[in-house]
Amino acid sequence: MLNYIWAGLIIISLVFAVTQDVMDLVQDPYQNGKEHTIEITFPENGDPDRRQTVRFRIQGHEGTFDAAWRPYEDNPEIIIRVDDEMPELWLNIAQDQDSNNKEELTAEVAAFDRSSGRADIVLPGVYYVKLNAIATAAFNMAEFAVTLAIGLVGIMALWLGLMKIAEQSGLMYLLVKAVQPFMRFLFPNVPKGHAAHGVISLNLAANMLGLGNAATPLGIKAMEELQKLNPSKDKATNAQCMLLTVNTASIQLLPPATLVALIGTGVNELMISILIVTFISLVVGITAAKIYERFHPEEEHIENIPDDQKIED
Amino acid sequence: MRTVAAFILPLIIVLIPLYGIIKKVHVYEVFVDGAKEGFHIAVRIIPYLVAILFAIGMFRESGAMEFFMMALAPVLGFLGFPVELVPMAIFRPLTGSGSLGVMADMIATYGEDSLIVKMAGTMFGSTETTFYVIAVYFGAIGVRRVKYAVQTGLIADLAGIISSVIVVRILFG
Repeated sequence: MLNYIWAGLIIISLVFAVTQDVMDLVQDPYQNGKEHTIEITFPENGDPDRRQTVRFRIQGHEGTFDAAWRPYEDNPEIIIRVDDEMPELWLNIAQDQDSNNKEELTAEVAAFDRSSGRADIVLPGVYYVKLNAIATAAFNMAEFAVTLAIGLVGIMALWLGLMKIAEQSGLMYLLVKAVQPFMRFLFPNVPKGHAAHGVISLNLAANMLGLGNAATPLGIKAMEELQKLNPSKDKATNAQCMLLTVNTASIQLLPPATLVALIGTGVNELMISILIVTFISLVVGITAAKIYERFHPEEEHIENIPDDQKIED
Repeated sequence: MRTVAAFILPLIIVLIPLYGIIKKVHVYEVFVDGAKEGFHIAVRIIPYLVAILFAIGMFRESGAMEFFMMALAPVLGFLGFPVELVPMAIFRPLTGSGSLGVMADMIATYGEDSLIVKMAGTMFGSTETTFYVIAVYFGAIGVRRVKYAVQTGLIADLAGIISSVIVVRILFG
């Protein structure tokens, strides 16, 4: 599933980019290769054969702009400083050009009249904008992922350090008592006093505190205990389905460390909303599991035979 | 609400070590021991972050994201569900580190104080990577026929996704 979604993102990106670029080739929105006429004003006593800073006007457009005049012998250039007052086409070209410096436009001078300062210039061609953009995005995001992950180290260390103390001090035992009364309701088929009850309570308590490292092994242990009561080894029992449901929908008193690291101190507000939302999803999850149980009736596990002897082959 | 929220983090940071001391835990050593994992986890999630972030980055830049958002907007808008949350809702049940990438991308795009990011954060904190949990828990005991576990897990996730939007809107909207 994940494979298809992930590959789908990449392939759809390519399809969209190619479509857009082909449309650009046909419609030519950047008017690639078109000669634009400008009037260059040289400074007083300025010699058009030397490099210098000049100002210029664009024919049919208001305002004067800055540029650097580069009269190279074979192909003279003019490096234009991008200005918000320029025609939209010019701004679009500047934004989407290949060069990384979006503040400058390097135009070729096709024709130049020394006496009037009139010049025909060709702005840089813009081709395959979207294809370049997705490639750039891929590289930039890959880099961002590493900066991001490294940036998480500090808060993550703080949070996981605290969680380790919570784990070692047995903070979750405080919650075990709160969970216990619901055991009979959630797992009616598990005999009273069975070892599974204790492990499940611990698993749920660890889950509520966001102690992922403690919760997962406890959850697996709880599954193993329930498996001892399972008459058909490769098919899940209702109790196992319920355990899974309350694990995925557990009330979250403390959020996962990664979220804390990502959001920072803003997470205190989120803890309130997360608490409420997880309560809702837990109630919905349990209700759903209870309804499904009706359609998958099971006989109650026989209580008087010790489970170890009953199940073990 | 603001007052309650302001107390939460300081209390957690103070009460947990305090409880540890009462329970005679070597709090300093244990803290450092746990903190070491911070680095390992950060490094371990890098490949997942790269995989998701670069794919989403491409998707956004190609214009496909905009297109799908525009296509989905009328339907989801009618239901009051923000279109921007769709990537999170899709990735969350599938991959934890991947949806963390989605989260990071959303913070970068919409700013961490925005309502959308609060909704996404609540969603991220409230729902589980259901498919992963099923694989690990049932895989460990060799159960292959999981009956309705996928359905109930996803129903709970869906309830979490929908109520994230509503609850955040009521609390912070």
